Amino acid sequence: MKPKVAFFDFASCEGCELQVADLEEELLDLIEIVEVVSFREIMKEHSNNYDIAIVEGSIIRPIDEKRLKKIRRIAKTLVAFGACATIGGVNKIRNPWQPEEVIKEVYGDIDFKDNEFFNVSKAKAVDEVVKVDYYIYGCPPPREEIKKVIIALVMGKKPDIPNYPVCVECKKNENICLFELGKFCLGPIARAGCNAICPTNGRACDGCRGILSEPDTKCVEDILKRYNLTYEEMKHRFTIFNYTLEEDR
Amino acid sequence: MESSIKKMNREDWADFINNLINNSTYEVIGVKAKGKRFIFAPLESADELRLDYDTTILPPKKYFLPQYENLLSFDLSKQSVNIEMKEEKRIIIGVHPYDIIALQQMDKVYFDTYIDRFYKIRRENTIIIGSNILNVSERSFATSMKAHTVTSGYDLMVTDIGSSIIIEIGTERGKKLMERYATNITDATEAEIKKIEEIVESIESKDRKLKVDKENIPNLLKRNYEHPIWRELSEKCLQCSSCTIVCPTCYCFDIRDEVSLDLQGKRIRTWDGCLLPDFTRIASGEVFRKDKTERFRHRFYRKGLYIPERYNFIACIGCGRCSIACIPDIAGPFNVINKIAEDSEETRGEIIFEIPVTRGGEEETAYIPRNGIIRRIEKLTEFEKLFEIELEDSIDFNYQPGQFVEVSILGVGEAPISISSPPIKKGSFELVVRRVGNVTNKLHTLREGDKIGIRGPFGRGFDVKKFEGKNLIFVAGGIGIIPMRSLISFILDDSNRDRYGIVTILYGSKTPRDILFMDEIKEWEKKEDVIVKLTVDTCPEGICWDGCIGLVTSLFPEVKWQDIENTVAIVIGPPVMYKFVIKCLDTIGVKEENIYVSLERRMKCGIGKCGHCQINGIYVCKEGPVFNYTEIKDLPEAFE
Amino acid sequence: MSKNISINIEHVTRVEGHGNIILNVRKGNIEKIEWQVSEAPRFFEVMLKGRNYWEVQPITSRICGICSIGHSLASLKAVEDAFGIKISEQTNALRHLAINAENMQSHILHIGYLTAPDLFGVGSVIPLAESKHRDTLLKIVKLHRLANEMSDLICGRTIHPLTLIIGGFSKIPSRKQLLELKKRLIKDRETLREVASAIRKVSDKLPDFKRETEYIALSTDVEYALYDGDITSTDTGRFKDHRRYRDIIEEYIVPQSTAKYAKHNRESYMVGALARFNINSRQLSSNALDIADLFELKPICYNPFMNTIAQLVEVMHNIDDSIIWIDKLVDDGLKEEKPVDFKVREGRGVGIVEVPRGLLIHDYTFDKKGRCIKANCIIPTNQNHANIQKDMEAFVPTILDKTKKEIELSLEMLVRAYDPCISCSTHYLNIDFKET
Repeated sequence: MKPKVAFFDFASCEGCELQVADLEEELLDLIEIVEVVSFREIMKEHSNNYDIAIVEGSIIRPIDEKRLKKIRRIAKTLVAFGACATIGGVNKIRNPWQPEEVIKEVYGDIDFKDNEFFNVSKAKAVDEVVKVDYYIYGCPPPREEIKKVIIALVMGKKPDIPNYPVCVECKKNENICLFELGKFCLGPIARAGCNAICPTNGRACDGCRGILSEPDTKCVEDILKRYNLTYEEMKHRFTIFNYTLEEDR
Repeated sequence: MESSIKKMNREDWADFINNLINNSTYEVIGVKAKGKRFIFAPLESADELRLDYDTTILPPKKYFLPQYENLLSFDLSKQSVNIEMKEEKRIIIGVHPYDIIALQQMDKVYFDTYIDRFYKIRRENTIIIGSNILNVSERSFATSMKAHTVTSGYDLMVTDIGSSIIIEIGTERGKKLMERYATNITDATEAEIKKIEEIVESIESKDRKLKVDKENIPNLLKRNYEHPIWRELSEKCLQCSSCTIVCPTCYCFDIRDEVSLDLQGKRIRTWDGCLLPDFTRIASGEVFRKDKTERFRHRFYRKGLYIPERYNFIACIGCGRCSIACIPDIAGPFNVINKIAEDSEETRGEIIFEIPVTRGGEEETAYIPRNGIIRRIEKLTEFEKLFEIELEDSIDFNYQPGQFVEVSILGVGEAPISISSPPIKKGSFELVVRRVGNVTNKLHTLREGDKIGIRGPFGRGFDVKKFEGKNLIFVAGGIGIIPMRSLISFILDDSNRDRYGIVTILYGSKTPRDILFMDEIKEWEKKEDVIVKLTVDTCPEGICWDGCIGLVTSLFPEVKWQDIENTVAIVIGPPVMYKFVIKCLDTIGVKEENIYVSLERRMKCGIGKCGHCQINGIYVCKEGPVFNYTEIKDLPEAFE
Repeated sequence: MSKNISINIEHVTRVEGHGNIILNVRKGNIEKIEWQVSEAPRFFEVMLKGRNYWEVQPITSRICGICSIGHSLASLKAVEDAFGIKISEQTNALRHLAINAENMQSHILHIGYLTAPDLFGVGSVIPLAESKHRDTLLKIVKLHRLANEMSDLICGRTIHPLTLIIGGFSKIPSRKQLLELKKRLIKDRETLREVASAIRKVSDKLPDFKRETEYIALSTDVEYALYDGDITSTDTGRFKDHRRYRDIIEEYIVPQSTAKYAKHNRESYMVGALARFNINSRQLSSNALDIADLFELKPICYNPFMNTIAQLVEVMHNIDDSIIWIDKLVDDGLKEEKPVDFKVREGRGVGIVEVPRGLLIHDYTFDKKGRCIKANCIIPTNQNHANIQKDMEAFVPTILDKTKKEIELSLEMLVRAYDPCISCSTHYLNIDFKET
């Protein structure tokens, strides 16, 4: 019996779901091993009978929390999909500001009191609202990883997601270390699994798959000094995808 | 006599390279520029070749032990396995002497005990054209490691002396290559040969100098296990493992199964690094080298003490790559050794490191599992099941109690499982498996008649001959009883019983529900001169239990010990148990050399190559899992 | 007719983002027609507050997964406009390839995955895989793969591109790779023609609906405008000053939408492939015009359902155009170029591109340290929401005699025809940041 899979999205750019559509011919292979019963972006059909829910996007409104909790009740397995869902992603950049301030800045003095579309709260990752069983990290997650997790779920095994830094994959690709080129890269503390795609394309890692552990201050100070980089640059680098660290400081 | 040192002018040398690229069947790899660094990569023409390089980002090891290597392919829908070993013929041009030496070191490892077929085929099919160093890397100290020149290990050795290219012939194969693809080769003159010496000397003078003789490094490390430098530097360590990836003498690897959507899959071998926190993690979640300082220090000891003890060479050739790659700049052995050497009079923490002698062998391996059929399954507890396995092929499967196998499930992976049945019955053996991770959980879903893969038996088991004529104390904690059963059943079997003395079995479990093999235990108890004492940590309400409650150590006072001088003790249990049990054994008078333990670590390859199971420098899969206590009692990483 | 119909389609499927369609008819009278945009606003304007100029592109790329290349290009153009950076010819050529690749990818996704199921009478592409149309589906997938691999090659990654940086590229393809790409593009022209024929067979299902509308798109003399050009309206012609785009585009808020509405000469206007076709069709390649002829698509076409067909026409043009740019790059010879040097300065920059769905504007103001103190973006779908509403109001009376199911499908098809990118559209507004 093929497991029934449903895709959902909240506050996101839908890039993660597009990655699934971008499996191209393999999408047809995918539907051989799972039954996709809901995927709003490409399907009209929808069913509330699913085993696995794959959720993209952050949760930013009470109406979204309600929708998510309903999904969690129905699904046996819930997978957080993409940076917005797993770690909050870019959506959290605005969290330091109060929701009222934010609404006022964007929409002006209009009173949206009863309009639930506009009732926003701080952006949250999915596991800040419901229990998450598995994570697919990345912005966007690599197609290989999406396949890997779905196949693992079908085979009944725990997906093997790396808990080691991007440097491992970057060095295996024999890239020139971006620190040697005077750039600040989060590679040493960011989770791997993306095959170091950003440094391989000449761009410093921004940690979109999450930070493994905060580095020792001693360590960071030394590195910044050696490569003549500013503390501010480092701080800002963290905050693009990993705002939680900033909030806890 | 024909000289083995030749010369060519620059144009003819370029023609030779271009000829190799365009007209030979070899893939021609050479050193070329990548930005302001250098790499080994396929050459498209001779003018890409840069013999004046200082060092490459990755060493040539990537051509012999690739970053990602396909060990075997399988089709899950058909449950079939396919092994393809491509014989890629290559020429690598420009290999520095230190990298050649590193390859020779790698040979010793990969041709040791279990010869790695993949590595072997690649070595045989690759021609090495070495190049003497012309520009010293900033972080190099190869001279101090006596690795800046080399007299063997190459098919040809090239020195660019400016006016011409001098080529030393190393092998018949190299000679034939020149004869076939090069023209205008003449003998080098005395003056030209002298030029090579001058170049080597200039390297020696530019290279950084270690404060100690390289031969003293192991000694230095032996006396400085607690040197403050380990903590001082490791505080800055990012645990990125870049140092191990770029190192020519690092070769630890992980093995993973990958499956694609069409249910085709591969078993992949990929580089792993001991700096990574999960390097020693086992399925139940335990991590054996938890502290960052321990992992940081381990790398230096592996290269400077453990491997030298095992293979007689220092596993560092002074290329400086790790120094360059390390962002906080703490990885380079140069500074570390020099700093320790400065206070060379003091001893800061000693480590006694000796490798137990185990059997050698010349078996070739390609990591292919044998097919095993599940003949019988018995559910023992909520988490444990017994599997009786019969191997499909008719090749003998001889093992000792205490050995283990790697159980392979295609698409999921491999797990090390101790053999639980005694080596008495031919034709099949038993595994008792606790479900904790992916492989064991999958195994629990299988049915009689299903097939699994078996590799092994691996490891050093119990030498039952040594126990003859002795009294035996078996102390088992939790699932330690599983491998213990193999030994106990063997000893107590009617055909063996009279060769052994009094048998005392002390077995502790978490709760009565977790006790394994209760029926057999009752049979054991019935035998002559067999004492059995059971205990549980706790007894939940509602369960009937009239035995002891308490740790297994609380059973010791319950026994009237006799003839202790002639008694051997075997202890198997969770890591935390050993210290306490051994104390008890000491209290009752069992000599240290009469205590045997079986230890668990993360065992992946099973053959002493992947590096995951190390206790300091000892491979649990090779020198263990069974150890005599005296062999490991002083090893810092052996017991918690 | 005294019909009572109540339609409430929550979260229209096969569109990017969340929108609802509400229709209430009582006793034959239309009481309410509403296109509601319920997408969660993500407040990108707040995200950009105080960010450094080099962080703006990676953040704004995340506005939309499908048009991330377009957002990145508009963002980079705005920064380059602010700091007076002039890109090299090679960069210009590569960026044209990038925008072509994105156009192709997005259009094929829309035509094949989002719209075609309606024409073939199924709920999604998945049943198409089992039907007699499997062959056509595989060809669509093949074209989509080509477009994706093209953007992987030029941009490092299709979704959230990596190599597009201020003043240049962080990594460029090799000559060999470009020539291989060219071979594939040439070959797949035929695949595209076959897909066009297959769609022609069912395209009569597209309603024949007309409403006179104003169309706005970029135009330029040198090419069919996508990367560069001046804002042009079918009503008022070309507008040269890109920084004064507000003179043309007027945004306003309505309660049923978390996205803003826009107007210019009339109550609403349309942007997108149909708008571009109506304004610039004579600059399309001849192969592209052949496809237009196949569907009898001629300027000015006032049928919003033909937007999908205009997209199909554009894909052929993108292929032809890309081949020309590849030839130019290969003939000139690819060079490793450092990004253009520049000095950070106080000032404002505006970057305008045509993304698959229409006109996209990024407008930033930086302080002397290069931090963003003011940001505004005009998203194509923003500009279309008002037009969707107006189209619905005109369209519904013409289909009131159909069954409820048919009306639902027709309304959904109308929304889908616009290829709306709703997540993009729900946040942009003029923002003044207080100095930090």
